[in-house]
Amino acid sequence: MIGGKVMLEIKNIHKSFGKNEILKGVDLQIDRGDVVVILGPSGSGKTTLLRCINFLERADQGQAIFGDIHVNLKSATKKQIHQIRQRIAFVFQNYNLFTNKTVLENVTEGLIIGRKVPKADANELGQQALAKVGLADKLNSYPSELSGGQQQRVGIARAIALNPDIILFDEPTSALDPELVGEVLTVMKNIAKEGTTMLVVTHEMSFAKDVANRVIFMDGGVIVEENSPKEIFSRPKEERTQHFLRRVIPEDFIYNI
Amino acid sequence: MSVGLDVPFLVKTFFVALSGVPIALLITIVSLLIALPLGFLLALSRINRIPVISQLARVYVSFVRGTPVIVQIFIIFTSVPLLLAPIFEKYHVKTSIYDINPIWYAFIVFSLNTTAILIEVFRSAISTVSKGQLEAAYSVGLNNVQAFRRILIPQILVVALPNICTATVNLIKATSLGYALSLREITLKAQVAANVGYNFIEAYIDIFLVYLILCSLVETLFKLYEKRLRKYKAAAA
Amino acid sequence: MQTYFDSAYIWGALPQLLSFLHVTFMVAGLSVLFGTILGFILAVMKLGTSKASIKIANGYTTILRCTPSIVLLFLVYYGLPAIASGTDLNHLDTSIYVVITFSLQFGAIMSEVMRTAYEAIDRGQYEAAVSVGLSPAQAFRRIVLPQASVVALPNFGNSLLELMKEGSLAYTIGLVDIMGKASLIISNNYNSHSLEIYLALSLIYWVLSILIEQFFSKLEKIFSKGKLVIKTT
Repeated sequence: MIGGKVMLEIKNIHKSFGKNEILKGVDLQIDRGDVVVILGPSGSGKTTLLRCINFLERADQGQAIFGDIHVNLKSATKKQIHQIRQRIAFVFQNYNLFTNKTVLENVTEGLIIGRKVPKADANELGQQALAKVGLADKLNSYPSELSGGQQQRVGIARAIALNPDIILFDEPTSALDPELVGEVLTVMKNIAKEGTTMLVVTHEMSFAKDVANRVIFMDGGVIVEENSPKEIFSRPKEERTQHFLRRVIPEDFIYNI
Repeated sequence: MSVGLDVPFLVKTFFVALSGVPIALLITIVSLLIALPLGFLLALSRINRIPVISQLARVYVSFVRGTPVIVQIFIIFTSVPLLLAPIFEKYHVKTSIYDINPIWYAFIVFSLNTTAILIEVFRSAISTVSKGQLEAAYSVGLNNVQAFRRILIPQILVVALPNICTATVNLIKATSLGYALSLREITLKAQVAANVGYNFIEAYIDIFLVYLILCSLVETLFKLYEKRLRKYKAAAA
Repeated sequence: MQTYFDSAYIWGALPQLLSFLHVTFMVAGLSVLFGTILGFILAVMKLGTSKASIKIANGYTTILRCTPSIVLLFLVYYGLPAIASGTDLNHLDTSIYVVITFSLQFGAIMSEVMRTAYEAIDRGQYEAAVSVGLSPAQAFRRIVLPQASVVALPNFGNSLLELMKEGSLAYTIGLVDIMGKASLIISNNYNSHSLEIYLALSLIYWVLSILIEQFFSKLEKIFSKGKLVIKTT
């Protein structure tokens, strides 16, 4: 667990895929309790940024400070990566639940195997997490028996159960049918209220407006603008931000803040 | 046993083995010509559950895929003369049944064998192409034959092609069993040459090389054809 | 040569043939065992990062998939003593040559089965596993491997069946399994009634193939819990 205020600091992260430079130098700081939403058009690098933080992609350049761990994002050792992954949880756009395990097993797998928590304790923690997301009755079901919204809630429970310092959300509702989005957003709002530090890439403006305390707008691999939701949505400073918001938000949304 | 290879023999026998390739190819091509349409039609009959034919096809496939090819060869080789002998007698056919060119047996066995394999290949390929395609074809006014020829078969072919390639390569390899019919294909020719000086290793190396070249060529050809079909598919999408 | 057909020979041959079934099983079983190990090593090579390993593994697979079983048998049978010149291999049991041959062949086939099964598993499963704190090895062992095994199961069953059928060619170098015994019976009868013997033989193989098919079918059903099963006719 990280003491202190600053959970995560990223400096000058660069990442290219082949000839395409996706991240062109991004700096980021996440404090304890922050709920940060990253907005931006597709291709802006938001998902890549998230995946680099969790080392699902290897950045080409950049420094990161996770509490007391300083790493070079390009040359981090396996041990450092393992340590960092103990502190960060990831919620995937496609849920990525372990299809060969039950719901409870999905949630406890990381605890039992990754952190050597005794099975009884892990089950206890798992059940609590699942109760929090409203799926206490589905412990022994398999992912294939659940709806998309239920699967994503299990994904969130899986993340919460690890009691991480930060939870990264990669477009958690983008793969869901519209009527299932609400149940997932509600869960996310609840855990935000409890003080969980969250970094969320999403298109759900209502979440950004109601729950986030900071909004970052990314475009073309850089952070264009960063501010409180109120400021970003009512008084966007940059041309690009205004352009993006005009496209994705209905007119009256901006004035109603 | 000497370690050194008799290189002149190696080179000479390579061409002897090569001379068996036409027969191997002939058997392969004839078998495919028969098995492709027949396999496709029988696969359709299985999917559409046409009575009698569907069940017979099922038993037939089960038997052919459950028994070794060499056993099938021997069964045909020994049963056909028995069946033909009374017919030949009745119609006073001049040829003795033992003088029938073994290649006819090869045609029969390999056609039957490949048909069974292709029935399964087409069954799975047909089921992956969605029914909606057929329905859409009807709704724009195509009749059955047109729908099949212009819409379904190209799609089925793309899906089935890798498996047809495997079946063809297996067929070419299986022709090596033609020696059991005294068929002068690749293996037998080289073996005969080897018998003179007991240069078996050289002979089998040559045989091995010929099959390697042949199969690689066939695989490459299929891959090229598959690329062409896919281009067609992507362009139409 | 055969002049008439007598079905009594079929039933007469069956017990004789069945008494050699254990040889067929033993040879097939050992080939599957060694072939699977070899296949695993090759699959790891193909999925690794070393370009040389990938080329070698792919080359091996292509060469063995283009070689007829009978040619491979003869190459091993005549080639092995030549390579091991010096050591006296005259007393080596035929079954050893057969097992070597079919292990080499099965290994090539299995390497492809394993590779495609591994690649069929969504990368997201692995990513989620390491995200919750599993080491890469644990992620592979506990999440990817079980799922890949289920995908590989039908192909494994098919390959097993093919192996048993190809194994029948071992009689050409003198192995006395059910096929070898059949040959002996036939030559003992001066080649008369060979059709009946072959029919008996094919009956045994047919029943075996059906049994194997059913077994793997049941196995697939058991391991498919938690997965949506796509129905095929």
